[in-house]
Amino acid sequence: MLGNTQLIVAIAIFTLTYVVIVSEKVNRTAIAIFGAVMMLVFNIEMQHEAVMHVDFNTIGLLVGMMIIVNILKRTGIFEYMAIRAAKYAKGDPWKIVFIFSILTGVSSAFLDNVTTILLVVPVTIVIANELKLNPIPFLVPEVLIANIGGTATLIGDPPNIMIGSATGLGFLDFIVNLGPVVIIITVVTMFILKRVYGKTLVTTDERKQKILAMDEHLAIKDKKLLVKSLSVLGMTVIGFMLHQTLGYESATIALFGAATLLLISKLDPEDILMEIEWPTIFFFMSLFILVGALEDVGVIHYLAEKMLLLTKGDLFFTAMLVLWGSAIASAFLDNIPFVATMIPLITSIGEMSSISITPLWWALALGACLGGNGTLVGASANVIVSGMLEKQGYKLSFVEYMKVGFPIMLVSIVISTAYLIVRYL
Amino acid sequence: MSRLLDAELTIQTMKLRQMGAKIKTINSKMCYVKFDISGFEVAYVYNINKDGNYFLERIKPYPLAIREFYDEEQVIEIIEIDLEQFKNAINSHNIQSFIDINRRLHQSIKKFEDLFLYYNVPQSECDRIIDLLDQIDAELKDTKLSSNRIYFRKEPENI
Repeated sequence: MLGNTQLIVAIAIFTLTYVVIVSEKVNRTAIAIFGAVMMLVFNIEMQHEAVMHVDFNTIGLLVGMMIIVNILKRTGIFEYMAIRAAKYAKGDPWKIVFIFSILTGVSSAFLDNVTTILLVVPVTIVIANELKLNPIPFLVPEVLIANIGGTATLIGDPPNIMIGSATGLGFLDFIVNLGPVVIIITVVTMFILKRVYGKTLVTTDERKQKILAMDEHLAIKDKKLLVKSLSVLGMTVIGFMLHQTLGYESATIALFGAATLLLISKLDPEDILMEIEWPTIFFFMSLFILVGALEDVGVIHYLAEKMLLLTKGDLFFTAMLVLWGSAIASAFLDNIPFVATMIPLITSIGEMSSISITPLWWALALGACLGGNGTLVGASANVIVSGMLEKQGYKLSFVEYMKVGFPIMLVSIVISTAYLIVRYL
Repeated sequence: MSRLLDAELTIQTMKLRQMGAKIKTINSKMCYVKFDISGFEVAYVYNINKDGNYFLERIKPYPLAIREFYDEEQVIEIIEIDLEQFKNAINSHNIQSFIDINRRLHQSIKKFEDLFLYYNVPQSECDRIIDLLDQIDAELKDTKLSSNRIYFRKEPENI
């Protein structure tokens, strides 16, 4: 525990940084780096201590998967799959929405949500254009299911990567514990979406013929690279499934896949590494330093005490507080800084009480990932979809999205509540 | 931002591939270059890629077709000579006529393209247009002979 002045300064830096991040007035990476550096400038922690707070497993996993996806996307596989799926649906708009959403959900479980959306949305827009239909009823289901699908695995959404890395919970732990509830939520959500958008998706036979006339083989840009990329991705997913048995951290698996693909693809590493989302990586590193500083000055320990006092150490109330609190917070705020703060908080609760905190990790993952569906600003994927629609001349307003997204978020959290009660509480 | 740009590019390339195009995407830098010569704007755009190819185009006061170069010295030299020539031309009292003629020639090219792409033009009309172009060509050569040369650093390429 540090002195009182340092405690106040640390809280001030942390709060101001988070307020500015939430306000979205300044680039989130720029302010997070500034906040982290201020912790060093004011001697809240020494540089070598700050570096030790950075979770390099999370960073390595993110970078590794970004490299794999950056190479995979050059093959044209997502365009190929989209055209195949649209033809399989015989150009029927609702069937296309259904198949694309499921494809997005499954892809999102194995790739980051934002990445999946960036790969799937452009091809969906092309298909919607061919059908002469507004792309909004295609894209809203896709982004909702992407956020839901990403909840199922360790690598599907950044909050899960952070939780897995901090707790040692592995790929299979996430699938076994979150997979069943994610499937139930997906089925219910698709049913609701059919009611909402089903009747608006009508097109002519002539337009359907245009879809059937598309040639999926033209989408494949490099067959050799496709084979290499899919082989490495497959090996990497198997590696994730076995990483606990093999005794490797998840980042080692992702980086092994990335390094192998970088080597055998014969692409210029400069081109690939240039496309890594470095602002996101630095954002994560800065948040780890900010939260680490708060831990060092004892604030996290203090908050954990207060939370235990509020819930009286009852696992049911604590889990409900974590689930619903995370969901509501994540619907309006960036869930990454929220989860970065909650992880040490829950760890402290575990150290101070006798309750088993494992269910709390599932509550946090479900709340933080599914909460993002609540509003247009709740998840990065939603913001990207809105931006891409705007570029295409369509406006998805905050309210229009919320009318669909918020009720679906509430339904998914109610299902999660029931699931947690039945399975763990 | 670059992520949205990538997505936008995917939409375009997917449509073009379905039209049968082969597409190669290269990372490059685009430079906009502007000069102000006594209130007269001369502007260029050029693109550099990692293969060492440069694509240069003049965009103001009137466009000059894009050309490919293989080293930066060539690009800088082209701009330098072009700029010197414009500095000379600006001092001429004919500068406005020069620009107007150039603009009209460009408009004529566009009109001809529309004519060619939208109508089935009879051969007799094509022959008449060729005759008129020959007359313009002869007029340009005559004008050259009756005019004083004012720029000597480089030989003219087209006349």
